[in-house]
Amino acid sequence: MRLSFDDGTLLVEDAPESVPYAEWDDRVDEYRAQAHHYRDIRKWVSGSDGQASLEQPMGTVAELEDEARAYSKFHLTPSVAIEPRDYQQEALSAWQDNNRQGSVILPTGSGKTFLAVQAIADAGVSTLVVVPTIDLMNQWHATLTNAFGNQLPDGIGVLGGGSHNVTNITVTTYDSAYRYINEYGDRFGLLVVDEVHHLPAPTYQQIPEMTIAPYRLGLTATYERADGKHEELAELLGTVVYREGVDELAGEYLSEYETLHLSVELTDEERKQYTEEYQIYRDYVDSHDFDLWKESGYQEFLKRTSYDPQGRRALIAKQRAEKIARTAEKKLDTLDNLLKRHHDDRTIIFTANNEFAYEISQEFVVPCITHQTQTEERTEILERFRTGKYSMLATSQVLDEGIDVPSANVGIILSGSASKRQYAQRLGRILRPTDDRQPARLYEIITEDTMETYVSERRRQGVSANADS
Amino acid sequence: MLTADLARSRTYDGTISPLFIDADDQQYRETATELIQIFEEHLGQSKGGLEETIDQLTIADTDYKIVQGLAKLLKDECEFKTVAPVDPQAIRQQLFEKANDSYPIARQPTLGEDTQKLEVYSAVADQFGISLEDCYRGMYADLEENKQLVRFGHRTSDEYDEADDGTTTTRLTGDSEESYAEDTITVDWLLTRYNLALAQAVLYDATEMRIRVWDSFATVFSYVKLFGLMHRIYPIDANGNRVSSTDVADGYEAILDGAASLFSKSRKYGIRMSNFLPALPLCDRWEMEADILDDDGGATSQTLSFELDHTDELSSHYSAQSDFDSDVERTLAQKWERANTDWQLVREDDVLDLGAEVMLPDFAIEHPDGRRVVFEIIGFWTPEYLNGKLAKIRNADRDNLIVAVSERLDCSSEDFDGLDDRVLWFKSGIHVYDVIELAKEYAVKFSPR
Repeated sequence: MRLSFDDGTLLVEDAPESVPYAEWDDRVDEYRAQAHHYRDIRKWVSGSDGQASLEQPMGTVAELEDEARAYSKFHLTPSVAIEPRDYQQEALSAWQDNNRQGSVILPTGSGKTFLAVQAIADAGVSTLVVVPTIDLMNQWHATLTNAFGNQLPDGIGVLGGGSHNVTNITVTTYDSAYRYINEYGDRFGLLVVDEVHHLPAPTYQQIPEMTIAPYRLGLTATYERADGKHEELAELLGTVVYREGVDELAGEYLSEYETLHLSVELTDEERKQYTEEYQIYRDYVDSHDFDLWKESGYQEFLKRTSYDPQGRRALIAKQRAEKIARTAEKKLDTLDNLLKRHHDDRTIIFTANNEFAYEISQEFVVPCITHQTQTEERTEILERFRTGKYSMLATSQVLDEGIDVPSANVGIILSGSASKRQYAQRLGRILRPTDDRQPARLYEIITEDTMETYVSERRRQGVSANADS
Repeated sequence: MLTADLARSRTYDGTISPLFIDADDQQYRETATELIQIFEEHLGQSKGGLEETIDQLTIADTDYKIVQGLAKLLKDECEFKTVAPVDPQAIRQQLFEKANDSYPIARQPTLGEDTQKLEVYSAVADQFGISLEDCYRGMYADLEENKQLVRFGHRTSDEYDEADDGTTTTRLTGDSEESYAEDTITVDWLLTRYNLALAQAVLYDATEMRIRVWDSFATVFSYVKLFGLMHRIYPIDANGNRVSSTDVADGYEAILDGAASLFSKSRKYGIRMSNFLPALPLCDRWEMEADILDDDGGATSQTLSFELDHTDELSSHYSAQSDFDSDVERTLAQKWERANTDWQLVREDDVLDLGAEVMLPDFAIEHPDGRRVVFEIIGFWTPEYLNGKLAKIRNADRDNLIVAVSERLDCSSEDFDGLDDRVLWFKSGIHVYDVIELAKEYAVKFSPR
């Protein structure tokens, strides 16, 4: 019998009829199986797996020619001097005990990446790390480069965001993995999936299906999905092997900070434009009775903009008004004052859009990271910020969902979205005091009497609601 | 190709169809004209500026998807490049290092500290030997929106020096005058291409495609192979009904999908089918039917049917396979025309399904009384090619297959073990009557067509 990897599947040639997990493919007149059954089929051949060989007699497989496996084994020692925390060690053991398969649930900020580094060293095989966003891909790339970079001749590979470099340890996004997994599904023995709750989708779930990797690790802080589809993860990656709740860790690793809200006014010219645009939007919305306080009402508005020219104009008006408020001229004046006051501190400036981040970067000659920043430069800027070579950093919304950013003691929000989860996470993990006398400080600069005022309200409610729960 | 968000289609009663536009509609012709003009005018300018100008067209226009879709197809014909005298990343790294020693860099000029910013920029400009403006603009010249449009179709920006690759393109001063090439992008080109792109976009979510073709078999199946689709092939008659053998076929039906389609309806191969689609309009007569998975695959997901055929007036920008693979074949065809025989030589008329591959023998040789052989020529090729060819011939397992083999090939009759009687050895050219002799011997008789 011969196993080979064919376009994301396993071609099983010269197989006895009793071969499990495989279906007859009349297109090529051979058996074919999903790639993720690679380990099961190997077990069945060797007869060492009780379950499969009892139900499926070994048949007539005298010899197995395995051309499917294209990944390598090697010995790696993470060059990280940190001792694993207790729960990380427990999680790792639980995963090992489950044949190196399954998911680990850990709260954000508790070192999921660190756990993965331990798992990669433990498994000692080529590894593909799949993450939801390009920003996370960059972050993982930096961490893995730190841990293993000098032990791998080709370094850590990146597949996605314009890079196509596949090496023994490669980081990729869900989207790129989905696109290319049929080509590379034989090249990895360990599959690590970050934020694994995103995986159960008809497209993304083909990533584990088209991979032969016998070892699998899922990571997330929020395993359960509202639609119940997380149940499919057990089949794709293995069961949940370890779970650590938020309570056990809250307070311990998340820091506290004080918040100051600063308001600025629009200039006369800005106010005039704002009012004009906002009025176009308001008039349209008011004349159509959308209940914009509800998500469904807003969806209805959006739907209408696709066929009603006036609605389309109203949508553009809303976007323009938001932009005027977001990039208000006087915000830069206030920022100017803050930067003077804090020029000896470590400061991160947050903006909601790239354009504003770059404007600030040019205006105040501050390094800047956006989703456009290439992996290498981004790693370098963060490293320089960590070591103090840079004391300031401007960034658009790229420091979300579980990203390790060097800490700062001053944060300045120039504008942002209203998502409460995003807000609490990204600040709690970044702001910490540099000395005991002065707490970390967050400034939020908002434009008075615009839609921003409302967004800021909602944001604060979100944070306090979080703290109460 | 259109991005998925620019797709336009309508679903009705279990079917889905692209919302084609009428290429003669004055409104669309004007939009296309305007867009092409915008692109031409933005040669040598920034991508961000170009996109901003296009967005301006769609402020109160519910056809914005059409406008943006047309623009996307034009952008596919463009080249954008970073234009800066020094690597932008090097410029900004120097700036940030320098600035970090100079903070606070204040903005309000009243405070006397305003020279700091200028000093930082001038110091770095001097360091690289570039002007202050080049330093300031070059700092982020590699951002997507700051890249310059240097080529649109065959037109290039005069400021852009083709010989210079990479990021340090020299900037020339003076007014630019674009050079014209013959093959310019026209309104008709754009609107035709757009309709094809709309059909392709529907296929992004396709799980299976069924095609029927009655000509251009070699072309069609070479594109099936090129885009990595798997097939099941059935010979059909003129009405599209399946028939028993390729010997009596007028056309072919093929069911196309991918390796993992065996296990579940996968839209993984939709993009391949989408890439394949432009091969079909190369046929005079064709039909296509695809299963399209609706929505996100949740509980409400359903399969929609998408149908197209030659009456939809799509046109292709792919190239058709040339008539003959080699001079030997062309010469034989020419000789055959002059020869006095009832036997007819038909070019690539049979599609033999060999599982993972197809084989299209070079010719069929048919007699009006219904006798027929298929005929393959093996000319001057590499040993790998020869081995592959031999494997195919054996795999095809046809009683009425004959082969002509060049004596210049490093092979002997042993290579054709079991088939050697059907081999016609030739030196430089093939003689018509030798082929007919062999054809008479191995022809199988079918009812005359």
